[in-house]
Amino acid sequence: MKKSVPQRVFSAVLITLISVSVMFPLAWMAIAGFKGKTEVLRSPFQFFPDMWRWDNYSAILADPQFLRAMGITVVGALIFTALSLTVNTLAAYAFARLEFTGKRFWWVYCLTPMFIPAMAILLTSFMVVSKLGMLDTLAVLIIPGAASSAQMFFIRQFYLGFPMAVEEAALVDGATRWQIFVRVFLPQSAAPFVVMGIASYLAYWNAYVWPVLTITDPDLTQIMQFLGNFRSDRGNDWGLLMAGSTLASLPTIALLLVFQRFIVNGVRISGIK
Amino acid sequence: MTALDSRVAVPADPAPDGVAQRDRRRLLARHRRDNRTAYLMIAPMVVLLSIFVVWPLIYSVYLSTFKISFYEEPEFVGLDFYQYVLDSPRFWESIWVGLYYALLTVPTGIVIALLLASFIKTLSRRAAAYMKTTVYLPAVVSTVVASVLFVFMYQDEGVINWMLGLLNSGPVNWLNDPGYALPAIAVPGIWLSFGITTLILLAGLLDIPENYYESAQLDGAGFFQRLFRITIPLLKNVLLYLFVTGFTLAIQLFELPLIMTNGGPVDATTTPNLYIFNSFRDLTPYATSFSLTASLMLFVVLGAISLVIFRLVNSDKAIDG
Repeated sequence: MKKSVPQRVFSAVLITLISVSVMFPLAWMAIAGFKGKTEVLRSPFQFFPDMWRWDNYSAILADPQFLRAMGITVVGALIFTALSLTVNTLAAYAFARLEFTGKRFWWVYCLTPMFIPAMAILLTSFMVVSKLGMLDTLAVLIIPGAASSAQMFFIRQFYLGFPMAVEEAALVDGATRWQIFVRVFLPQSAAPFVVMGIASYLAYWNAYVWPVLTITDPDLTQIMQFLGNFRSDRGNDWGLLMAGSTLASLPTIALLLVFQRFIVNGVRISGIK
Repeated sequence: MTALDSRVAVPADPAPDGVAQRDRRRLLARHRRDNRTAYLMIAPMVVLLSIFVVWPLIYSVYLSTFKISFYEEPEFVGLDFYQYVLDSPRFWESIWVGLYYALLTVPTGIVIALLLASFIKTLSRRAAAYMKTTVYLPAVVSTVVASVLFVFMYQDEGVINWMLGLLNSGPVNWLNDPGYALPAIAVPGIWLSFGITTLILLAGLLDIPENYYESAQLDGAGFFQRLFRITIPLLKNVLLYLFVTGFTLAIQLFELPLIMTNGGPVDATTTPNLYIFNSFRDLTPYATSFSLTASLMLFVVLGAISLVIFRLVNSDKAIDG
């Protein structure tokens, strides 16, 4: 569909407005990374530094711990994302498409954890993981949070919208539920997987309280932990924190650029589309 | 909790009357096979949740019936702490703050995201790719950094008051005025989360077959008719998800008010979790037991309200896409 000139102008204006409101705080963060220790906090508000200094960025990049923390966090986040997508998608398919005894009970059982405030179980889940000997391993960061009621719920809602016809046809042809799940449902799941996968990845990446509680091994220090320590070791240096946060957001942005293409018009199963 | 699973997809089994015995047996056999498959599929999730969420929760409930202090042996007190929490006006005030915040952010966030997603859908491939990345960018910033950023923007001589000055009004003391503080926190709250909401709604919109809109247009349906008759009913599954998760996240808000206002002024931004956190830091004895009990009460409130949302949104049959 060809667009008229006013429509194109309207689109361009809207894109610009949204970009500015989204980018302004981010640009401020990146530029604050060039500021001196007290300059960041200065009032009145000032966008650009008096003098562009690379100290903050070079200080962080020169710290071998920074790159190690980035590396170990990327690895952890990727495993975490893969594991949680697997666990939650399997359950989501069963709840969306299969009839089984006790389904209502297990549905409530798997959904209710969504409403449990993290605060209510922070202390006791720490006791559980220390009893299991998981402290100071990558597993303590990956396994406890992998089953996510919210993610399972989202993928189930998505699967509910799939047309029944194809599945019935496949069943008549003698396909098993596993075959249908793998050959019909999984190939159609790119968009929800990308959306939920990015959310999982970010949840892991931005986690702070849990790693601080469970990880003391410097080799396993997570990136947010590193940034927190880095700042407090150097007496609340906000310029450094901004520079570190800017650098730490780069891998995530790169990932987003790669995967956004999967959120597109899907080819729907069945002849609907 | 019937509302929770009223939207379960039931395979269209043939009517039982007039079905030959052989067919019935085959159906039963298939059902048994579904049972095994289903349990295998939910097993990993059930096991993980049991160990890392349900068991800690039960243990928390157990601990909440004890007085715990660092100096004495734990003492069984039954439901005393629940009584204290229920009698604490500050606990209830924090629940209202949480609800007000949810009301400010969840519907607004979803409407903004729906408008943005509809807009992105009309764009060319390249512009859409750019927008899909751009709207998500705020989410890569950690909450701590976002809080600090917005505190600077809200300063007396910050960029927001500077813009108000251009319109010849202000300056407003955003974070120190009880009336403005919570809405002021809602802005970064929405800013941080609207990206993922937009992508989710975009994925949902792209899933609606285009010919629905084409035939509606042929029938002369206007923009709002298409929105309310096609888009919203077909996005119902996704919208239910967004309302429920948006609400649970909003009422558990913690880091933004902690860093931006520390609950002030006069508790206007003390959300439930911040109240719990502050009572944990309190120097009063038994702070641990009290905050633990308060967080369990929050779970009850949250579950109850979420159930209402489920019933409201899921009240009638949704449509299969």
